[in-house]
Amino acid sequence: MEYPGTVTELTASLRQGGYLADRGLATTLLVSLSLRRPVLLEGEVGVGKTEVAKVLAAVFGRKLIRLQCYEGITTSQALYEWDYSRQMLQIRALSQAEAADERSVDKLFGPKFLLERPLLEAVRQGDRAVLLIDEIDRADDEFEAFLLEVLSDFQISIPELGTVTADSRPVVILTSNRTRELHDALRRRCLYHWIGYPTAAREAEIVAVREPAAAGQLTRKVVAAVHRLREMDLAKPPGVAETIDWVRTLGVLGENELTPDAASDTLGAVIKDRDDLDLVRENLAEIISGG
Amino acid sequence: MGDPFTDVLVGFAAELRAAGLTVGTGDVLTYFAAMTPLDPTDLVDLYWAGRATLVSRREDGGVYDEVFRRYFLGADAPAKNQLVLRAQSVAEAEAELVMPGTEPGPGENQERPFLGWMASGADTLKHRSFTACTPAELAALRRIMATMRLTPPRRRTRRTRPAAAGPEPDMRATIRESMRMHGEPPGQLFFRQRKTKLRPLILILDVSGSMADYSRHLLQFAHTARHAAARVEVFCFGTRLTRITRELAHQRVDAALEEAARTVVDWDGGTRIGESLDTFVRKWARGGLCRGAVVVICSDGLDRGDPEVLATAMERLARLCHRIVWLNPHKGDDRDFRPSTLGMIVAAPHIDLLLSGHDLASLEELAGLLPVLN
Repeated sequence: MEYPGTVTELTASLRQGGYLADRGLATTLLVSLSLRRPVLLEGEVGVGKTEVAKVLAAVFGRKLIRLQCYEGITTSQALYEWDYSRQMLQIRALSQAEAADERSVDKLFGPKFLLERPLLEAVRQGDRAVLLIDEIDRADDEFEAFLLEVLSDFQISIPELGTVTADSRPVVILTSNRTRELHDALRRRCLYHWIGYPTAAREAEIVAVREPAAAGQLTRKVVAAVHRLREMDLAKPPGVAETIDWVRTLGVLGENELTPDAASDTLGAVIKDRDDLDLVRENLAEIISGG
Repeated sequence: MGDPFTDVLVGFAAELRAAGLTVGTGDVLTYFAAMTPLDPTDLVDLYWAGRATLVSRREDGGVYDEVFRRYFLGADAPAKNQLVLRAQSVAEAEAELVMPGTEPGPGENQERPFLGWMASGADTLKHRSFTACTPAELAALRRIMATMRLTPPRRRTRRTRPAAAGPEPDMRATIRESMRMHGEPPGQLFFRQRKTKLRPLILILDVSGSMADYSRHLLQFAHTARHAAARVEVFCFGTRLTRITRELAHQRVDAALEEAARTVVDWDGGTRIGESLDTFVRKWARGGLCRGAVVVICSDGLDRGDPEVLATAMERLARLCHRIVWLNPHKGDDRDFRPSTLGMIVAAPHIDLLLSGHDLASLEELAGLLPVLN
């Protein structure tokens, strides 16, 4: 399926995939799709940064290739690696005459023994893929510099095989939780969008899309309560994912009403910190009553 | 040139630059390219395309909004005469700008108050400049501090490097060697060893009234440290916490000090250690800024806030970082120093190393102890 040409079409397509994008995000994505520039998404935890890439891939029939970054990630985990054990077995199997033959040695460093990692796979797939580089802020500085190189040219050099170049550029989504400042060089190569918490009405809509079985009345109450929680001075304010979780949890328990008891029992779905729990329990009645 | 649309967008980029954003020519070209699939007469499209291509930081969003409003929607907006904008799109854009889905919160502006139009509001706050250092004093300090290196302790990383002997065999090198011998088992095994890396260093400096005498050279010290170690974050606090890492990134000491002086608007105000550390834990440390890091706090522990808040913040901070070093100038050279202020007593259980930091000699002591703080 081709990517759409207008913001309205894109918003509608994303909605079909269960993702409600606001005007700003949709515009940024559309520009990214038409210019084939990577998008850097930043925002609070649990507002659906990763989800954007998943939905894009699902709705437009692209393959989602995910590179989860973490401290100490190396190029062999991101690009490619030689399958050493298979090479070793192959060497063992070679006869004396074969081992002397140049070609059989060349074969050892051929495509058959190459393990593709996400970045190489994305370059090979080109437009058939959506590349998600998740939590880029967790990787080291050096990795960021290396990524910059790949993102600007979309070509990867493998000394033994030659250069692999993308025939068309994949859509690239980068996410960051801002645990450290990213380099300006990387920011400049990307379109930038900040995803904030949605308004109450929009959040209720999001829950309705993701959890169609939930009662509208209950959803509105939960969303109102979550918004009050965000106003409180919590160590870990709940994101949209937590709102959906809470509605789902209440649904599983068969609750139709956000009573103090039901809220208290299911608080673990939204509040993920002990100190926060204590604070919230003290003010629970006020939070769920809407007062 | 001559095309009004081009003039307007180029003019808009110039305005943004004047307001302090970094907007390169390449960014402007991207902005033009971005408008191709969009509707150039639609202000909302103009707004979001520019926001995605010209802004690369959340903190800059506020400046962008302000300039956009002035340039495209103001009473004497330069763009109004040159562009035919759809009437309903103006109304739409007004609505979007009053409450964009991504409007930065009020706290965000306080974070970087060096934006042009905020300076007037800052006048009411006490604004003591430490650029008032005598040149001779500064030069002497700088000479001495330039010779001091703050080296945080090292930690092992996941990455490895080739080594003569080590716990992990180097498969790649071993196979290569084997290939050279046409598949014969290699004569020797190669090994790899884990690399080590400097831990991040985080300085949290008290610049309130009771610490004002020390803060001047502490900031000088912070600046030197910023250029010595791999990753250094610097925060200042008095009544509230301000991150000054970016301001200190300037190469010249004077420029950096001037920047920092403009940012720390609560200069010489009261001290709220507990709340400031609490802000640090919530806003920065929870996000992972200080995981595995050495946190150096410079303060006398004279807290005007609730000791309970300080105790909780310190406890959380101790769990989040690797080591906490506290510099208290009141300790002086007293070896048997016992903390007397309530703040220090409350914080004491979570401190790994307590030093004085009241003169250059004690800062040297810190520089000596830091690398072995494991």
